[in-house]
Amino acid sequence: MSTTAIIEIENLTKVFKNTTEPAVNGISFSINRNEIFGLLGPNGAGKTTTISILCGLFPPTSGKILIDGHSLQHKPAHIKQIIGIVPQDIALYPTLTARENLDFYGHMYGLKGKDLKDKIDIWLQKLGLIDAANRLVSTYSGGMKRRVNLIAGVLHSPKILFLDEPTVGVDVQSRNVIIEHLKEINADGTTIIYTSHHLEEAENFCTQVSIIDHGKILTQGSPEELIANNPGAISLENVFLNLTNRKLRD
Amino acid sequence: MISKLLACIKKEALLLMRDSVGLSLLFIMPMVLIFVMTLIQDAAFKTINEKGIPIIFVNNDHDSLGILIEQGLKNNDLCSYYDSIDGKPATAALAQKAIADGKFLVGIIIPKNATEAIRKNVTDLVSETMNTTTETAVNDPNIPDSVEITILIDPVAKKSFLMSVTSNLREFISEIKTKIMFQTFSDQIADVIPDKSKAPKNTFKKTQIIKYKEVYATKSEDKIVPNAVQHNVPAWAIFAMFFIAIPLSGSIMKEKNEGSVFRLHTMPSSFLLLVNGKIIVYVFVCLIQFLLMLSVGLVFLPMLGLPTLVLGSSYMGIFMLTLATAFAATGYGVMVGTLASTEHQAAIMGSLSILLLSALGGVWVPSYVMPELMRNISAYSPLNWALSGFYKLFLRDAGTGDVLIDALKLMAFFIATMSIASIVNRKKRAI
Repeated sequence: MSTTAIIEIENLTKVFKNTTEPAVNGISFSINRNEIFGLLGPNGAGKTTTISILCGLFPPTSGKILIDGHSLQHKPAHIKQIIGIVPQDIALYPTLTARENLDFYGHMYGLKGKDLKDKIDIWLQKLGLIDAANRLVSTYSGGMKRRVNLIAGVLHSPKILFLDEPTVGVDVQSRNVIIEHLKEINADGTTIIYTSHHLEEAENFCTQVSIIDHGKILTQGSPEELIANNPGAISLENVFLNLTNRKLRD
Repeated sequence: MISKLLACIKKEALLLMRDSVGLSLLFIMPMVLIFVMTLIQDAAFKTINEKGIPIIFVNNDHDSLGILIEQGLKNNDLCSYYDSIDGKPATAALAQKAIADGKFLVGIIIPKNATEAIRKNVTDLVSETMNTTTETAVNDPNIPDSVEITILIDPVAKKSFLMSVTSNLREFISEIKTKIMFQTFSDQIADVIPDKSKAPKNTFKKTQIIKYKEVYATKSEDKIVPNAVQHNVPAWAIFAMFFIAIPLSGSIMKEKNEGSVFRLHTMPSSFLLLVNGKIIVYVFVCLIQFLLMLSVGLVFLPMLGLPTLVLGSSYMGIFMLTLATAFAATGYGVMVGTLASTEHQAAIMGSLSILLLSALGGVWVPSYVMPELMRNISAYSPLNWALSGFYKLFLRDAGTGDVLIDALKLMAFFIATMSIASIVNRKKRAI
């Protein structure tokens, strides 16, 4: 196993109860430290299942996972402390203010006192939410909720950050702010694992990309490499469509 | 760990406080239920305890038997005496109609010459025994050989209740009859013996060989009378505590639906820690609920002319049992929230099961009036364990030790529900 890799996966398989077809079918890949790794694929390809397993939400059917040198199956508590997640759906309490939400989630990661308060203030300031910090989240716009959702995942400065379509349903302004700050987080040493249907965004944002479909990895490399290796492709979207075809998915 | 737990408690308290509708339901609904149910049931209790049973009395005798029964009824707290109906003196026909109309529960009709008939019978007996003859009304055709006292009863009234009333009346009338018989007997003997000074005196009193003393088997010297307040306040307070299963299970479902649980499962915090935050807040809510319900019984119900709640003397016992009930209720809420798949399912599962458990537990109707089969089933309801514990504390003036078993049963229920919740949660995550 590589020493520069922060995530190493071998033959990862997940078959859900009452189904015969695996959602993830024996995939193997590794992600290097400080990478922005894009896991791309059409609906039902196995992206969210892979990320959910890596976050410890449910166990794999088989396979081996090492995160920061530790087995996920054997040291889940240690791994949960070093990862952050920004889920696809807004995972906030609507009847709490942004500050109250962040205070709670910060505590759950073991932050407390002045350190936590300062971190909350810094992030709220960075993402333009300081003036609305004491308003209930239920009164926020979609973009504002996405930004709080992001802060809740990065507040404890995780080594690895999982982003499941972090910019879905937000305006261009909010998306730009989110991407800018994700780049900043990455520059500070956080490895990012990212899924998205915005292929243009992925092309510009990711340093490495893996295209997954039917639970299997179809290709992997930097966006530039993937485009270059696919004759006729001028963008990551062309590569994606060539590999996953144009047939509509459920 | 402590700071995480405190954060969970703070979050839970804020969520609960911001749910003003849910919160007001938790406190106002049971208070209203106590008021309504106590007022309704108090009318029934009052009929027996305070105002007494309304009895219409028709005295056609106007002699010792009629007069003594009349005096007895007037002086008895258990009945409310009437001898006229709508301003007219009561007659047998009027009394029958009034009872049929539901104006009175019971009517007593003493026939004409009833006392004379008793006297005649005793006189005849003495004459036969002593082989003498007397001139008293023996041949009067207006005096019957036997006395038939009519007891009219309201057909709508509950049979068991009327049986107890009429049996008491029969006993009371029989006592008066005996008194008259003994007096007549004594007079007759005095007439036939030569030395009048040796005639028996106070013969009736000498017949009172067996007396009855009824003592309430409580530890307190003061008699605590079971009434609507003593039943309804603890009963509905327990119901209210268990009712928190609905908002509690709803809050668990909301966390699942809003995605918070998803995020929480990726964090380095255990399921138990997160649930403990909920339990602590909801147990505290239960304690406040109970205090409020007690204040209703101690302060507000007496303002409406209802009896004041008597708490007994073991405040430690009350606290221990309330705490155990609160834990049992919150454990139940956590279990419902874990078993349910949607908020709607949790609300229905929670409300229906609590209604069922409360009915079985004797909240609506005390379990001691239930049929034997239901009484046996009732013994398995945690609400019944709590209620019987509070009965012991409030009505029997029991101490902490007397309700320890009830409290332990409730805590065992809490542990069982939490274990089920934990197993189900683990199974649901192992997809």
